[in-house]
Amino acid sequence: MIEFKDVNYIHSNGIPALKEINLSIKPKTINALVGSNGTGKTTLARHINGLLKPTSGNVLVFGKNTKKISVASLSKRIGMVFQNSNHQLFADTVKNEILFGLNNFETDSQIIKTRFEWALNFFDLKKYENTSPLKLSGGEKKRLCIASVLAWNPEVLILDEPTVGQDQVQKGKMLEFISNLNKQGKTIIIISHDLEFLWSLKPNVIVMTKGKIRKTGKIADIFSDDELLNQTCLMRPQLLDLWMKLNIKREPPADITKAADIIRRISGS
Amino acid sequence: MKEKSIIKFENFSFRYDSSNEFILKDISLEINKNELVILAGPTGCGKSTLLRSIIGLIPHMHSGEYKGRVIVDQLVVNDVKITDLAKKAGFVFQNPENQIFMFSIERDIAFGLENLATNKTVMRERVDSILSLLEIEHLATKAPHELSDGEKQRAALAGILAMQPKILILDEPTSLLDPKTAINFINIVNDLRKKIGMTVVIVEHRLDLVLEIADKLIILSNGKIIENDSPKQVIHHSKQLIPEIGIPVISRLYRNLAKSNYNFDNAIVTVKEMVKEIRGKRTQ
Amino acid sequence: MYWISKGFIFTKVDSLVHKLDPRVKLLISIQFFILALLVSDLIDLAIIFTGIILFANISKIFSKLIRTMLFAVLFSGIILGINIIAGYSFIYSLQIALRFVAIVCSTSIFFLITSPDELEYVLRWFRIPNDLVFAFVTAVRFVPIILMDALQIIDAQKSRGLELEKGNPITRIKNFVPILVPLIVNEVIRSGELAEAMEARCYGVVKKPTVLYELKLNFNDKLAIPFCTSIFILGFFLSI
Repeated sequence: MIEFKDVNYIHSNGIPALKEINLSIKPKTINALVGSNGTGKTTLARHINGLLKPTSGNVLVFGKNTKKISVASLSKRIGMVFQNSNHQLFADTVKNEILFGLNNFETDSQIIKTRFEWALNFFDLKKYENTSPLKLSGGEKKRLCIASVLAWNPEVLILDEPTVGQDQVQKGKMLEFISNLNKQGKTIIIISHDLEFLWSLKPNVIVMTKGKIRKTGKIADIFSDDELLNQTCLMRPQLLDLWMKLNIKREPPADITKAADIIRRISGS
Repeated sequence: MKEKSIIKFENFSFRYDSSNEFILKDISLEINKNELVILAGPTGCGKSTLLRSIIGLIPHMHSGEYKGRVIVDQLVVNDVKITDLAKKAGFVFQNPENQIFMFSIERDIAFGLENLATNKTVMRERVDSILSLLEIEHLATKAPHELSDGEKQRAALAGILAMQPKILILDEPTSLLDPKTAINFINIVNDLRKKIGMTVVIVEHRLDLVLEIADKLIILSNGKIIENDSPKQVIHHSKQLIPEIGIPVISRLYRNLAKSNYNFDNAIVTVKEMVKEIRGKRTQ
Repeated sequence: MYWISKGFIFTKVDSLVHKLDPRVKLLISIQFFILALLVSDLIDLAIIFTGIILFANISKIFSKLIRTMLFAVLFSGIILGINIIAGYSFIYSLQIALRFVAIVCSTSIFFLITSPDELEYVLRWFRIPNDLVFAFVTAVRFVPIILMDALQIIDAQKSRGLELEKGNPITRIKNFVPILVPLIVNEVIRSGELAEAMEARCYGVVKKPTVLYELKLNFNDKLAIPFCTSIFILGFFLSI
């Protein structure tokens, strides 16, 4: 569905940001883009919705070459939530913020109404409907940004560092809703450093170093690769680390209680 | 008798002018010299406000209703200027970009000293020693835009350390960093604290990075202190760890096991400790 | 716009000229500037341009200076046109237009070879009050950052369907609201953070802060001053 073929990208100042990227992202998958800052993750993501066009090579989205489509028409099907909520929020009310993108992409007033109500309620923003976005807390602003993007129901959702500044409860809610969106058939791409968060989602992982794709694979495989972990900024999520150090072959369960049961069993108590 | 505490909050409450509610309610707290203290809590609970009250940004820059007293190294915060406190307590803010003012890193490190009319020779010595202490000599003549995020964070830290503060305050220093760079940074801070003797107060969400080295974990919720003890004590004793706090997964596992009478010598905050305990049990 | 701005923004280059004391750089630029103002006939102008091009080559800033020159030439075309319409002779109008280009180039040269740091030292040397100098330094330091913020915001809003190139003039102006509002909000937040950081570094405690470096003329500077000044004086008398 999203394909990078021999993509190279050089910034206007001459510095190469992407080198020989070959990548295929399948529909209805959850994908994580990881790597230290400056390795090209955001640059790669911006090629997906056409904000950037490759210097050489091609990016094909839904079978079409991004060089030939406008950002607006790509964005209808690919929603991107930026890292800094303050870069997006501008309207006088939460209502108008959500309607902004909706009105740009939808013309049927009935659909607009339905989608607006859905976004407002799904993200727990009903009580702020007529409040200024500037008055919301950091976590609420992030929710609003995601709500205003999902309002127009894109098939693909790109999230840039969605958990920064969020506390554990907010992260839990985000995990839940990302899983739900994926079950509804959406393709998710997350750029994140939060390994515990990613571990819970069990995504396909794309590891980037210095503008190149270092490795792709299931998250369990990526984190079992000692050499990869040594050479990149990645670290193992704690449960997996514990399991590997105890030589337990199977993957640790997501649930702490189940993990505790296993520990009790192997300690013979 | 030598005073052990270097920061004291006495029934401190604060309400911002723009709000009807008190964000901090009746805080009483003592932080001792050379302690490394972690301040954790849900977003919006008042952590940043508490930090800013140490250096005097509250109330002198952000006005509001101020009750009680905050005493920092024997100075009463409400009675002195921010800059008097800044000489004793260095504050490293969350975004390093907005703390680097000059075009070369070594000049920026000297910025605070220049503002205090420090002698040139002394400045040069201090800048050189900080550059080597933080291992950033190679960045000395570089411009801020040439630095990576981790390097900028160290440069911001360097600018504060140059002023030789007794207290170092860090507001979510790792939020923009990848895991390895984050750990590296925290370790640098901890090593420095031991080397030159500083009290360190850190607001941090990523507790898995800091619990091992902290002397105290203070949990703030809804403007009140609900926990104030060593991390291991908090993990062990706390009746109900509020769900918003990101207690390390390994500590959650510990609590789950401890509840069912799995015998532990100590509470667990790292994977290494857990492995040791379990291996010990297996050989029994 | 971005392309043109490259003609006025300093970049680190390894050249003898870049290593000179900033006061010497200022002196050289002013000398070019004055000569450009004084010359009248085309032959003198040609000599000045040769001088500028030679100097730009020595300082390895020629490729950037070209951008300024082209920008100035475009502008000077307007000046040329206006003067001809006003009834002045072609030669005279051409002289005025080319002088304009020379003046713009001499200004550009200064900013291309002098870093913002050095600019600050020169301002301090002229005893400009500390607050003004600091305001200038902060502006130069953060304007590129603000520009980057603006680009980020434009990208974010484009991803929500904002199309800046479409629509009638009124729509186009309205389309700037989703860009200006977040930009202003961001920069207000940034200035708040900068103010806090300044306090944390004791800004304003003393009226006259000390400075880490001190401007000292070295051997090359002491050579350059009489050398350039003598060329200047020669040019000065030739042009009269």
